[in-house]
Amino acid sequence: MASTTPLLSVRDLVIKFNLRGQVLTAIRGASLDLYEGETLAIVGESGSGKSVFTKSFLGMLDQNGWVDSGSIMFEGKDIAGYKSQDEWRRIRGKKISMVFQDPMTALNPLRTIGKQIEEVLELHQGLSGKHATLAAIDILSKVGIPDAQTRHKQYPHEFSGGMRQRVVIAIAMACKPKILICDEPTTALDVTIQAQILDLIRALQSDFGFTTIYITHDLGVVANVADRVAVMYAGQIIEQGTVEELFYDPRHPYSWALLSSLPQLGIKHEALYAIKGTPPNLFNPVQGDAFAPRNPNALNIDFLLEPPDFSVSPTHTVRSWLLDGRAPRLEPPPAIKALKAKYERSEQ
Amino acid sequence: MLKYSLKRLAQSLVTLLIVVTAVFLLMRLLPIEGYFGDAFDKLTESQKEAILNKMGLLDPWYEQIGRFYKGLLQGDLGTSTIYRKDVPVLEVIAPRVPYSVRFGVVATLMSIIMGLAMGMHMTRYKGRFWDKTWTAYIVFVSSVPSAVYLLFVQLYGTSLFKVPLLFDKYRPSSWILPVISMAIVGIAGYAMWMRRYMVDELNKDYIKLARAKGLSDSAIMIKHVMRNAYVPMAQYLPAAILATVSGSIYIESLYSIPGMGGLLVDVIQRQDNPLVQALCLIFSSVGILGLYLGDLLMAAFDPRIKLTKTEGAR
Repeated sequence: MASTTPLLSVRDLVIKFNLRGQVLTAIRGASLDLYEGETLAIVGESGSGKSVFTKSFLGMLDQNGWVDSGSIMFEGKDIAGYKSQDEWRRIRGKKISMVFQDPMTALNPLRTIGKQIEEVLELHQGLSGKHATLAAIDILSKVGIPDAQTRHKQYPHEFSGGMRQRVVIAIAMACKPKILICDEPTTALDVTIQAQILDLIRALQSDFGFTTIYITHDLGVVANVADRVAVMYAGQIIEQGTVEELFYDPRHPYSWALLSSLPQLGIKHEALYAIKGTPPNLFNPVQGDAFAPRNPNALNIDFLLEPPDFSVSPTHTVRSWLLDGRAPRLEPPPAIKALKAKYERSEQ
Repeated sequence: MLKYSLKRLAQSLVTLLIVVTAVFLLMRLLPIEGYFGDAFDKLTESQKEAILNKMGLLDPWYEQIGRFYKGLLQGDLGTSTIYRKDVPVLEVIAPRVPYSVRFGVVATLMSIIMGLAMGMHMTRYKGRFWDKTWTAYIVFVSSVPSAVYLLFVQLYGTSLFKVPLLFDKYRPSSWILPVISMAIVGIAGYAMWMRRYMVDELNKDYIKLARAKGLSDSAIMIKHVMRNAYVPMAQYLPAAILATVSGSIYIESLYSIPGMGGLLVDVIQRQDNPLVQALCLIFSSVGILGLYLGDLLMAAFDPRIKLTKTEGAR
């Protein structure tokens, strides 16, 4: 964390969608600060709202979705209030970029790689013709594509999955954005390539000094790359903190459950832990703590009142009544204690 | 690319051969009474036999077809046997070609231009009023037998536009209705495919990336969606020629246009074999050429096809 004023600051964001006349509240008051140069991972299960949340930084919600209340402060402006596409287009690809999940479909199959990179250079940096071509070749070699001179004239189908993801990253990087949002950038790739792509993003981050947001449900990736982690559940950020705090001292019952479901190295012949039940239906208003119905140790108040954010440390906040002084002390499950013990041993 | 186009050309020629042979054999299956028309009852058995013999119809079928292809290779399509007795086939057809070509070209262009425009319009207003209106039109055209609405066009069109009921080569306004009739089906087909391909493209991931790049909606439409939707459309463009050709057969006789389509209906009824064969050869050549051009166009637009050199991507 290089600076103390956040680069991007989200406050009480509420995002709603209209689906066939019914209103779904996808994001229910999420707040988040993003600091310059850091790597933040947003984790959560499918449907927890992590993609929608970050898409709102680019104004890329689907047509039927809208920001209902809250603010997104970026460079001194509340971009959540942006209405016109013209305003958004000054941010997209220039200030905030996005890398998508599936590189096999993220590129236009009928245009050359070079053209697709040049397109964004022409748009935001006013380059054209030969200048754009040279810049595109330069970026291609920066993302580790060998023989960029000939490769930039080729079509996506002539590239492998990993190489295509490098191209997608090149497009996102082309205009030196402030923030790079990576929406599950390695999910569609095989394991050896995953590591290469993560290394590449890290290397580019230290070269260009941008800030990265990873959206993932792969906790292994989180442990590898992130400085800070935010856990999302049912449209809220229920716990955030540094990687150490989140992995070795989690406080929210959902974070416990999430970490317990991780396979542990060296433990064999044991069924993996699964969180029982399903997330709440966000078409209906949620009363109390959204995780309460799935939480075996839920308190009575969890069903009645929504918990506020409690601070554990300056960097660690948890949205759970367990942190209230009046709550009974509850021991974390054995798997979490084991993780903590492992961590403390390694510290000594 | 060259290898691919030659291979497709060879395939097209085989298709043409099969079509022409099939038509030839089908004509030979028709009852022989048809060759005499009204004169059938008045002729004696030996007279009939002499006529059939003169037309070469008493020889075994393989000799007949051998003779036909031998003539074809020398550029001789034979002479008309009934319609205009003993006049060379090409001489009968030649004056009719300009009418058919003119109608065909105008109608094809009209259906391509209006069909593509309608498809784009539908995509632009997807799920809203215009999309639904044009969809209703497409469903109507494809489900109701064309004879029904083509008759309505002729019936109400004449009073609505104050144009003649039948074709009259000295009155250009008599062109309007036949051209509209020929284009009605084509427009619906193009609009449907164009909308479908554009919506397909719009839902693809690379459109999301294009938006994330900061491109405007209109730039995305023009540079990405439309460009990519034209590739699968390319194979349908020349196929329109085929649709117009088949449409023209009925429409030309409906409006008494002295083109090839009306002639074909006429000579099939009167069993003038050489004329039927020649006209079928022309019509199927045009249609197969259209399909061939469609494949070539698509290969030219789509870099993925050039590389693999197979037609599996259709």
